[in-house]
Amino acid sequence: MSIMQTLVQTAARFKPDADPDPLIASKKYVGRALDRVDGRLKVTGGARFTAEYAPDDMVYAAPVFSTIAKGKVRRLDTAAAESSPGVIAVITPKNMPRLVTPSLTDFAKLDKIAASNLPVLQDDSVHWNGQVIAVVIAETHEQAQEAAARVRADYDADEGMVSFERNKDKAIMPKDVLGEPPEIKIGDAEKNLKSAPVQVDATYRSPYYNHSAIEPHATIAYWEGDDRLYVFDSTQWVEGYRNSLAHVFALNRENIRVMAPFVGGGFGGKAGFWWNTILCAAAAKMVGRPVKLALSREGVFRIVGGRTVAEQRVALGATREGKLTALIHTGLTVTPDHARYAEQCTFPTRHLYATEALHVAQYVVNLDMVANTWMRAPGESIGTFAVESALDELAVELRMDPIELRRKVEPARDPTKDTEFSSRNLIEAYERGAAEFNWSSRNLQPRSRRDGAWLVGHGVATAYYPALRFPGGARVRLEADGTAIVQAAANEMGMGVATGQLQHAADRLGLPLHCVEFDYGDSHLPTSPMAGGSCQTLSILAATRATVEKLHRELLKLEQKDSASPLKGAKYEDLVARDNGLFLASEPSRGVSYVEILRKAGKPYLEVEGVSSAPMEMMKYSMASYGAQFCEVRVNETTGEVRVARWLGSFDCGTVLNPKTAMSQLRGGIVMGIGMALTEEMLVDGRSGRIMNRSLAGYHVPVNLDVPRIDVLFNDIPDPQTALGAHGIGEIGITGVAAAIANAVYNATGKRVRDLPITLDKLL
Amino acid sequence: MLYTCPNRPKCHVSRPLNAMPISISDPATLVFQLNGEAVSIPASCSPQTTLLDFLRARGLTGAKEGCAEGECGACTVVMVRDLDGRTVYRPVNSCLMFLPMAAGQEVYTVEALAASGSLHPVQQSMVDHGGSQCGYCTPGFVMSLFAEHYRPGRGDGACDPHSMGGNLCRCTGYRPIRDAALALTAAPPDAFSRRLDAPAPPITAIASAHFSRPATLDDCLAILARDPDARIVSGGTDLGVESNLLGRAFPHLVSVEAIPDLRIFHETAREIEIGAALTLSEIEAAWKTAPAAFTEWLDLFASPLIRNRATLGGNLATASPIGDGAPFLLALDAAVRIAGASGTRTVPLHEFFLDYRKTALARAEILVSIVIPKPVPPIVFYKVAKRRLDDISTIAAAFSITLGAASRVTAARLAYGGVAPVPLRCIQAEDILTGSTWNRRAVQQACAAIAATLRPISDHRGSAEYRLALAQSLLEKFFYECSEAAE
Ligand SMILES: Cc1cc2nc3c(=O)[nH]c(=O)nc-3n(C[C@H](O)[C@H](O)[C@H](O)COP(=O)(O)OP(=O)(O)OC[C@H]3O[C@@H](n4cnc5c(N)ncnc54)[C@H](O)[C@@H]3O)c2cc1C
Ligand code: FES
Ligand code: FES
Repeated sequence: MSIMQTLVQTAARFKPDADPDPLIASKKYVGRALDRVDGRLKVTGGARFTAEYAPDDMVYAAPVFSTIAKGKVRRLDTAAAESSPGVIAVITPKNMPRLVTPSLTDFAKLDKIAASNLPVLQDDSVHWNGQVIAVVIAETHEQAQEAAARVRADYDADEGMVSFERNKDKAIMPKDVLGEPPEIKIGDAEKNLKSAPVQVDATYRSPYYNHSAIEPHATIAYWEGDDRLYVFDSTQWVEGYRNSLAHVFALNRENIRVMAPFVGGGFGGKAGFWWNTILCAAAAKMVGRPVKLALSREGVFRIVGGRTVAEQRVALGATREGKLTALIHTGLTVTPDHARYAEQCTFPTRHLYATEALHVAQYVVNLDMVANTWMRAPGESIGTFAVESALDELAVELRMDPIELRRKVEPARDPTKDTEFSSRNLIEAYERGAAEFNWSSRNLQPRSRRDGAWLVGHGVATAYYPALRFPGGARVRLEADGTAIVQAAANEMGMGVATGQLQHAADRLGLPLHCVEFDYGDSHLPTSPMAGGSCQTLSILAATRATVEKLHRELLKLEQKDSASPLKGAKYEDLVARDNGLFLASEPSRGVSYVEILRKAGKPYLEVEGVSSAPMEMMKYSMASYGAQFCEVRVNETTGEVRVARWLGSFDCGTVLNPKTAMSQLRGGIVMGIGMALTEEMLVDGRSGRIMNRSLAGYHVPVNLDVPRIDVLFNDIPDPQTALGAHGIGEIGITGVAAAIANAVYNATGKRVRDLPITLDKLL
Repeated sequence: MLYTCPNRPKCHVSRPLNAMPISISDPATLVFQLNGEAVSIPASCSPQTTLLDFLRARGLTGAKEGCAEGECGACTVVMVRDLDGRTVYRPVNSCLMFLPMAAGQEVYTVEALAASGSLHPVQQSMVDHGGSQCGYCTPGFVMSLFAEHYRPGRGDGACDPHSMGGNLCRCTGYRPIRDAALALTAAPPDAFSRRLDAPAPPITAIASAHFSRPATLDDCLAILARDPDARIVSGGTDLGVESNLLGRAFPHLVSVEAIPDLRIFHETAREIEIGAALTLSEIEAAWKTAPAAFTEWLDLFASPLIRNRATLGGNLATASPIGDGAPFLLALDAAVRIAGASGTRTVPLHEFFLDYRKTALARAEILVSIVIPKPVPPIVFYKVAKRRLDDISTIAAAFSITLGAASRVTAARLAYGGVAPVPLRCIQAEDILTGSTWNRRAVQQACAAIAATLRPISDHRGSAEYRLALAQSLLEKFFYECSEAAE
């Protein structure tokens, strides 16, 4: 940690708490299960996604992918492609515009973004199997694809390093993991482990995963002159993409506009500033016409990275009573040198449980692969698989109910950060979930319940995801007719951002819902953080809160120019916003409507921009969402088939803005977790580095019938440190899921599977 | 200043489709009804253009591409088809339909549903139940549900969520979508309902250089004999994937959809004859006496969307070692009728598969029908796949054991897919069982024979050992299920 960081952290600890958000008590729309605002557009096919814009004169780009993992393109034969019908240009390193190399996402200064810092088609080097080595531009999509298939490449192939198994011994400790230290030691965990009366020491493996959002990545780019660039992109962060494009094309940020009104799912996979975006903008520059580059599903698998493969060791030393004396969690993941992203699998362990001694450490092995990236709850999803499986193994050793064990290891303070928790009600989530799920009827003894050919088991695991907030901006415009528009560059990929923010804005302004609009998905709007890390909701809530406060203060100033105003002499602190105006909190009949204020001031509208403060609360407290995942699985004794029969997720994630959209988010996360546990896995050829199952036929996301009944409970306890007491909920749903299933499979069969996905053959 | 958005361009789509024209003798035949309006398929359009690309190029972007291989259902549209004498809406994957296959047909996309301005009940239910998140999958689900909503004989209760088995959603976890289906009641007596009172459009003949749809078997055989480049297409669910994903060029596609001989379903006292070009859904509707195992088999085959196009003939002709049709039919002792220039012959199915993806079909021959002898013996079908539904088998097995007096096996058929380069029967194990008493010992001996003769491969769906173990344990499972049933 730098001296500066230490100073800021120390300052943050002594900073007094702000009062909890008063709206927590007086919310009206917030907390209601309202329909999502864009539902109608989506069911009619009217919601326009990136690939569906068609500027005049548009042409199409198709990439050509390398078939080796490492080396050089010795010769690129583009003649056949060039003479193919409809072809306008073939871009190769020879004629590619010179670009600045993208710089990797830097968490200390999060304005740009990129999953890889390789130069984009600037030279003949190949760094992964599937890298783009040329791009064909043609009048139609089909022509571009046909011509792309005619490009021939000869390579000087080097022996790439692609096999995880064969290169594990070359692991190194990264400099940092998302800005945090790669290793933390408290006490001597190994020593404690050796002397512990009860020990568990096991290795857990998980494969490469792919986001597989149903919308493949797409970009449309066009230029106005040499220095103005317009981009539609299926991105999770319009502003980050704008800033990164400005960096790569050496343009002023103001000259670039990135738009993403609707994004067909992202899950982390659309925040990497992948080559499709850059190549599309470069192609548009070259041909002087709008260009569309829509990746095929295979293209997504080739040039958009997913979740790294991982091997994690968790060792637990415990007393017979179930107190932890040692907690060791080390993780080995893969990242190429051009990505340097060690997936933070040990992060949950840093904050979850009380232990006498702790050791967490992360290692990476640099392979010649497509850049790995964030995928829904990066770190926490695979990290909880390891640590929550191990805890279950410990419960088995102790012959203790796993929920009872969670009670024994519940910490009073954050174990590594050594701060208070802003709001942690994990045990309450367990207890409510256990009652609802009828956990007490579970049999501690494995293989003790069956239903015909099916063995039945129950499992439980903790869900954990940090509550993150980034500073951001918002603009609020109040119209003379008393309606309002809230604007933020935010991205809506279906999480319900637009709906939740509208509910919030209506309550914050004291307006009926239909009088408020929320405008998003455009980098020209006030700055928002990325739709990732479950931070967007919290961040925009805070920004809107700050901006509405500014608006209210200005309105009060305007109003008080009128000597007869009912708000005469009032201070901002005395006011509440309700019933389309501002009123005295102490004297509910005294107030004035927004329409009246603007009318008297002779203003057609009032518009303010505001920004939220730096997230000091995140330094002062340990802030996270928690949950308890309960499941029932059935395992077929003959075939080893695993079916999830019943699910209950009991969550502690602050105030719930909208139970309907929240429930959907959490269930979606749980279902993705079921896929992670049972069917999903990207298979990499250990010699060529080629991803073998580059399609939805080969990469198995869960289908309708894989999905059991899923119940969701919320503690709904507000976090006093956040706007509305809310937390982001986009990612917590997937955490703990794989462990809960593995634990239930053990309970059903007596077989402990430590190697995801839990496929039939591992159980036979 | 309030920010306005002048530069978000409106969509005015005018995307030209690709070359290699259909160049048809009578362009009038290449017209189809799209959302109630006649549209013509441009003669300049490649016959390998998909219906999906055509729709999207026209600005009908409700149908979306998520995979281009029939997996995700984002591209779902409905066709008006005849099903066993009734007019129905059939949802299909528009990404796997070659555009000329739509000629003369009637297609609806999601854009047609709320054309009047108010949401269709199916759409309303999706909105009410929060059936979309990102919304990319939503139009596809809506169209599957739309077809289910109007399914004749459905009654006025809830819609069956299984009808959306061919649609993937990565966001919602499916529950709200299922709730939307379950909340629907009777279909309204609207124009969509009334449409079903009239017959479905007939499947008409087309003749052109690059796409033909002959109306008789003789015409078809003549085309095949004449043009060495001609390639039969039936439902196109295999060929469409080859075209989209592998970039295969088919200079001349010959659709067998309009040939009556390939669309029969005959049941006599001696046999059941199923036309090679009947879709699986059509077989389901026509085969009223089908054994329960057929329904189980069908439910495990791909997805409802694929089953609305996929044919049994295509399934056998494509000769995938992991295809599901072969094991089932092998256990039923089925044969195939093949027509060629020199006449028609019948080949027992176990002699039809020669080698990996190689069948007894000679060039310019055509698979006409599949014949199942009667009485149909008792049969069970097992499919083991990584994912419960809509997945290719790791291994598939179909067993038929006929017992005589004193539990003596009079006939045994043990058929497998996924254990060899071709689907096959394990004759050695059958021979062991035939004549023995149906007991544990006989089953163990049969298993030993299975282990000694089958030579499965290892791939990402399962290792050879796992497959071999499964091939045996499925037989054991079958035996235990039989004993349990007997008790
Ligand atoms: C998403 C998806 C899921 C699938 N799931 C399964 C599954 O679970 N189980 C399974 O077994 N298969 C599955 N398939 C494969 C496919 O659907 C079947 O093989 C289908 O039955 C093929 O029939 P078709 O009419 O679509 O064939 P087509 O694609 O039209 O033709 C397939 C081949 O057969 C030839 N052919 C077709 N008809 C004839 C004929 N009458 N005479 C001679 N040759 C002919 C064609 O020339 C072509 O080579 C799946 C496919 C997809 C896309
Ligand atoms: S695009 Fe995925 S099924 Fe057609
Ligand atoms: S709502 Fe996003 S894929 Fe279904």
